[in-house]
Amino acid sequence: MSLLQLNEISVHDGATQLIAPVSLTLEPGVPLIILGETGSGKSLLAQAVMGTLPQGLTARGRITLGKDALDPAQPARFRALWGRRIAVLPQEPWLSLDPLMRAAPQIAETHHLVRGLTRSDAAAQAQKDLAALDLAAVGQRYPHELSGGMAQRVAIAAARAGGARIVIADEPTKGLDAARRDDVARLLLDALGRDGGLAVITHDLALAQMIGGQIIIMREGKVVEAGQTSAVFAAPTATYTRDLIAADPAHWPARSTLSMPVPGLAPAAPVVAAKGLSLSRGGQRLIEDLDIAVHPGRVLGITGPSGCGKSSLGDVLLGLLAPDAGAVTRAPGLPRTALQKLYQDPVAAFPPRRALGMTLADVAALHGARAQDIPAQMERLRLDPALLNRLPGAVSGGELQRLALLRVMLARPAFIFADEPTSRLDPITQREVITLLRKVATEDGVAVVLVSHDMALIDKTADRVVRLGLGGQEQAPVLQDAFAG
Amino acid sequence: MTAIPNNTSPARLAGAAILALLAALALFGPLLVPGDPFGQSLVKSLGGPDAAAPLGYDHLGRSLFHRLAHALRLSPAIALGAVATAGAAGLILGTWAAAQGGWVDRILATLADALLALPGLLLVLIVLAIMPGTAFGFWAGLSLVLWVEFFRLTRATSRAVLASPAVEAAQLLGFGWPYIFRTHLWPEIAPVMLTAAAFGTATAIMAIAALGFVSVGMRAPTPELGLMMVELLPYWREAPSALLTPVIATFALLMGLTLLAGSRET
Repeated sequence: MSLLQLNEISVHDGATQLIAPVSLTLEPGVPLIILGETGSGKSLLAQAVMGTLPQGLTARGRITLGKDALDPAQPARFRALWGRRIAVLPQEPWLSLDPLMRAAPQIAETHHLVRGLTRSDAAAQAQKDLAALDLAAVGQRYPHELSGGMAQRVAIAAARAGGARIVIADEPTKGLDAARRDDVARLLLDALGRDGGLAVITHDLALAQMIGGQIIIMREGKVVEAGQTSAVFAAPTATYTRDLIAADPAHWPARSTLSMPVPGLAPAAPVVAAKGLSLSRGGQRLIEDLDIAVHPGRVLGITGPSGCGKSSLGDVLLGLLAPDAGAVTRAPGLPRTALQKLYQDPVAAFPPRRALGMTLADVAALHGARAQDIPAQMERLRLDPALLNRLPGAVSGGELQRLALLRVMLARPAFIFADEPTSRLDPITQREVITLLRKVATEDGVAVVLVSHDMALIDKTADRVVRLGLGGQEQAPVLQDAFAG
Repeated sequence: MTAIPNNTSPARLAGAAILALLAALALFGPLLVPGDPFGQSLVKSLGGPDAAAPLGYDHLGRSLFHRLAHALRLSPAIALGAVATAGAAGLILGTWAAAQGGWVDRILATLADALLALPGLLLVLIVLAIMPGTAFGFWAGLSLVLWVEFFRLTRATSRAVLASPAVEAAQLLGFGWPYIFRTHLWPEIAPVMLTAAAFGTATAIMAIAALGFVSVGMRAPTPELGLMMVELLPYWREAPSALLTPVIATFALLMGLTLLAGSRET
């Protein structure tokens, strides 16, 4: 018998239909993946199932949970199910633990309060849960004493302690690097994949492939494709799905076809070079004795797990941070504004209450750019001139990152440090932004340092790659030279 | 510039309306009904309203209407002057502390905390004792008390803004401090400054009235709200409406300012 059945569930905002009717079934042991980009409605669908839609939105259709039929138009009646029948694993679960409470009591609390076990039974059950997740030894630790993975397992145990057989994981890998992402996928499968009901909401194709099971792909409130995950990935039928899969960095064409190296440029002097660079943060040595050089028109990729010092390295190259040891040399005669940066979160990089056009005009005026430079660059970066009248918060992430690139180009940079510029974008937009960055670097002879936790993306984009290890583990970076050829 | 918060809640509008009404009374009232706030006529002592004195007479037979109009010019003028001085000082020092960090920040923050530990009225009293001229003393003392609030607000807001990627990007692009202040800092600070200014004005008016009430502020015969209250207090049985006149005016003034300030969250 299926655990959860949705019949023609739709979400409306007054007269506007936000999600077209969706029907799906969640079977025990068969995970369900809801895949889509930001704004595709995948989170709204989950909220409709949980009865937690924002004020003003209404859901229609029928939900069958085990033997019970529920009306999603009456979300108040869903409360009784939370924790007992359906649980949600929140985004970044380690933040959802109580920092002042040891691990085991956090799980026991749910057993006691939600399931109504006695205190001693609840404590014993919590210990059993921890043992099942290989955490028996850490039950008496506080969350800050747990590693990220351990904290995540504790959060999963706490979410399930109410007896819920259905767990909805909302973007469980948000902000994680590849290694951690694989851990989370394995963990979700181990904990829930066999007999429980697992629904995963994500935009991460790699996670979707690891989880397997069934998949539905959503776009603009509609299901564009549904089926078995492996089958969909092997032979996508919808155009959007094909684009989405092709946009995954792992499927990008190899670098050489993306941009032909310009033979004449190779011997040029580096724009920025560092020798014997050492760097530490918070008392931990992150980078030891690193030599790197960035040449005009070239892309240097930096990759490594989170917290390995990628961003700090960029700040050193930009001159915003002093290294512990080593020297950074810049090409002689380079003005201060020739070193520029692209940010992970472009919204935070613009003044929030100033129209984008005004901000860009300020930059153009400061650098003596001509009036027609902005429209010309907008065309080059395929941006709609109407965007200039909007505020930064009212523009999509991909457009804003391209506007950020435009702003940087107005300063006529010789060097751009791009710090995870696409980690918050969906794959299709990501490919567009990276391709444009690559194009700008080649055409204008700008030296680019591209940081990403996505190794496939770096491998396919960069001319040269620096892999950083986590502090103390693999201190010597592996340098791969892609110049040969 | 989109500095002024476009928050036109009904409460704010009501506050502004009350203040406008009081300002009209203070500025134009004596023009409509000419009279002298100091002119005594003991025959009319505690007398009821007539054509020359729409609000009646006090114990010395002076027109309450004209005394009130002058009192409503004096306290708000001192308060606004003190808030303007304190606001400017707080804004400059707060931004400087946030931008500079280190010793400058530590010294200024310690100074602000030390002033905060002293009761505000006591500080005003000390300055009043040192400074010549009561109005000037009030202005100086209140400015000294009020700048701390503006400093703390500006410093806290500026710190967050200055640490943001937006400011880092602006610096990398080559923008100078005036631009960063104008486009990044001021739009964030302005709304909190407006709220703090309204509260600060209310605090200052209350302080002037409180010290007048305990007879250590403005000296008689100056018409001042607190002083008027204490002068009329002995006659509350014979002329309750005379006593209520400055009380209601003070209440309306503070109410208007508090409504204008809005909630601190906005």
